[in-house]
Parts: sequence; C-alpha cells; structure tokens
Amino acid sequence: MGFSDLNLRVLIPYLPMLGWGALRTLEISAFAIALSFPLGLVGGLMRLSDNRLARGIATVYVETVRNIPLLVVLYILFLVLPLYGIPINALTAGVLGLAINSTAYTIEIVRAGFAAIPLGQYEAARSLGLHRLQMLRLVIVPQVFRIVLPTLGNQIVSVVLGSAQASIIGVGELTYETQSIGSSTFRYFELFTIVALFYIACVQVISLLWRLLTGRAAHAPLAT
Amino acid sequence: MLASGHLTNYLLLLLEGLAITLELSLGSLVMGSLGGIVLGAMRSSGWRALKAIALVYIEAVRSIPFVILLFFIFFAIPLMLDLDIPPYPAAIAALSVHCSAYMGEVVRSGIGSIPKGQWEAAASLGLPYYRIMRHIVLPQALRVMIPPTIGVYVSTIKESSLASIIGFVELLGQGMAIREANSLRNTADVLIAVAFGYFAICFSLSQVGRYVERRTTRELRQATEPTRAAIARPLVSGRPETQAVP
Repeated sequence: MGFSDLNLRVLIPYLPMLGWGALRTLEISAFAIALSFPLGLVGGLMRLSDNRLARGIATVYVETVRNIPLLVVLYILFLVLPLYGIPINALTAGVLGLAINSTAYTIEIVRAGFAAIPLGQYEAARSLGLHRLQMLRLVIVPQVFRIVLPTLGNQIVSVVLGSAQASIIGVGELTYETQSIGSSTFRYFELFTIVALFYIACVQVISLLWRLLTGRAAHAPLAT
Repeated sequence: MLASGHLTNYLLLLLEGLAITLELSLGSLVMGSLGGIVLGAMRSSGWRALKAIALVYIEAVRSIPFVILLFFIFFAIPLMLDLDIPPYPAAIAALSVHCSAYMGEVVRSGIGSIPKGQWEAAASLGLPYYRIMRHIVLPQALRVMIPPTIGVYVSTIKESSLASIIGFVELLGQGMAIREANSLRNTADVLIAVAFGYFAICFSLSQVGRYVERRTTRELRQATEPTRAAIARPLVSGRPETQAVP
C-alpha cells in the first residue's frame, strides 16, 4: 500500500463509532478531573500543614504516584483489585487510575501555588488579627487561585491525553475504537491521522476555552 | 524459563527487563534532548519559517496522546511505506519524538527566561551571536532548565512502559509475560515489583536532578557573594572602607 491508495471514504460508516469514542474520552477525563481537583486541593493543604503525619502521607503519595507509569497503575487497579475480591470494571478502573495520577500532580500544583505567595502576605494577614481560616479564605487562597489556574489548564490537557491509555485495559474510548476499526479495515494511516487531528483540535479547544473561562478570574482585581 | 515460584525466581528476569527499560529510555532521552535543543534553537531564532515549523511540531506532538504516536509509527507508517518497523525501533522513535517536543519547549522557555538586557549588554560588548549564547545565555539558561528537564525525562521513562503494548518486552512487558507464564497466579507480586522498578529509576533520577540543581545554584551564590559582601560591608560597619580600623 502506498500514498496513492489513501481512501477516506471507507471510513465514513465508522464515523459514529469514532464520535461515541470521543464522547467517552471526554467523559472519563471529566470524571477524573472532577475527582482529582478537590482531592488535589486537600492533598496540597496536607502537604503544607504543620501536622507531620498529614504532610508525610501527602508527600509519600505524590512521590509514589508521580514516579510510576499510569499504565502500571491502571493494570494494578484492573488486574489486582479483583484478586482481592473487589469487583471493578474497565471504566471504573480507568477513571480511578486517571484520578489517582492526576491528584498527585494537582497536589504539586497547589503546593507550588501556596509557595509562590510571599511570606509578607501571611504576616500581614496575621497582624491584622485574622485567624487561620480567615487568612486562608480572604487573603491567601484568592491569590493562590489566580496563580494555579493556568497550570490546572495544562493538567486538564494531560488528563485527556492520558485517558488514551485507558484503551489498553479495554475502556471503549476514542483510541480503543480507533484500534478496533483499524483491525477490521486496515486503514491505519487514515484512521490515526484523523484521530491525531481530533486530539489536537480537542486539546487546542480545551486550552482556549480554559483561557477564556479563567482569563477573567486571573486578571480580575482581588476582592476588596 | 518463566517458570513459576516466588519473587526470587523471577527477580532476575525482572531485572533484565529493568535493564532493557533503561537502555530504551537512555537512547530516547539522548535523541530527544538533541532534537529538543534543535527545536528550542529554532523557536528562539529570528527566522519566521523555522519558528513556525518548530511551533507546529511541538504543539502537535504535545497534543497527541503518546499511544497514538506509537501506533502511528508502528502500524500506520509501515503500511504506507511498505517497510517493516520492528517494535524496538518503533518505540525508540516514538519516545524520541515525544521527548524532543517537550524538550524543545523546555529549551525555548529556558532561553526566553534570560532578560533581554543580557543579550543587549553582551552585544554592546561586541560579542558575536554564538559567543553570547555560549558564554552569557546558555550558562544561565541551563540552570533554569534543570528541573523541567528532569520532569520531561521522568515522564519519557514512564511513557516507555507503553512499548510493551506493541510487543516490545521491557520491564512492564517482562512482568506481563511472567504473569502469563504463571497462569496469572502472581499478578499482584509481579505488578508491584514492576511498579517498584519504575519508581526506583524515576525517583533516583529526580533526586540526582535536585542535587545538581542545588550544586549549581550554590555556585551561583558563591560567585555573587564577594560582590555582595563588598557592597554590604561599608553599610554594616557604618564607616567608609578606606578608613583604617583602630
């Protein structure tokens, strides 16, 4: 086969399958993000807390998960948990694996966000007589929020890209559908080109939307 | 060969897999870094066409899941060009492409982090472009680039585990083979051992990175120390430098 044999028309009947796969990709990514962002905030606060145990747990979690491939985490969830009597289907394992992975990175993002706030802000808040929670809520967190927003956008993108690995444990998302269509039509070149373009478009749209949605927050003056 | 038993019986096989993962990663990291330097230089150059090519390459590769990149090289390209690409070259090629795009971005932002004044000062001293790069910009940029470079390396090593799905037997592939040879009885042990293998490589790499970063920033501090001391002394002692202390 050469470039002269390229044929996109063969793939038309398969477009709905690709569409459903794409929706599934966005769905599992959305679930994983919805799980990992709140958990990441909690973990980030744990990493910064004065409590040694909390700090230790968060640090060990981050270091462990960030140094193990996502695919290994997915295999452990999907293949090992059932051995211990915990039934898990591919979809749950996929979402959970992505969430576990993304939480570790989100914790680091949150930690870096807090670290970027000058010490003077904490001292000023304390000297105004704000207690701890007030200080966090009124002074620190609004600033942290603005710092971490762009990085969280990158994190969303990396979850969408990582979700392709869920195909390996059998989650029927875009990459999985692409492979199954490929093995029945043998039109790998056309297929992977289309899907690659789709992922590129998807990532660019997500980054753009995120910038539009958060641009206002990132540039707005802090609450008075 | 993959006969059953406890972890000790197949530990050697896993270590072999670890060595193959190291080899695969090392090859990709070297090629990816070289590619990244070229891409970063293109991105920072004055030529519009070069800039645009590098931008499109970097953005495209960074927006495609690594699995798709790998499948493209392993399934699609051989079909198109009528040639046979075995798993190992396919994996190395995909990992190098992946690594080079991310490294290109690291190099670009490293060079971009050097203030324009440094360029102008060097240029006004009459230094040519390559000497400005070599003596002024790169020594400072490299320091900034250490942490993100380590990040890219760690993520490339982790992505190398995906070579197992196109049939290349590295650490994870070896683990899955052992698991199958034991009719899935030791899934948990093997996978935990594999996870530990990746952890060992990636964690030690980040620790080395942290050490190098500390070392280089300390040198930087020492280099500026005498200057700072010279400025600070008269202020601290409250009297001019030249005055003899009784």
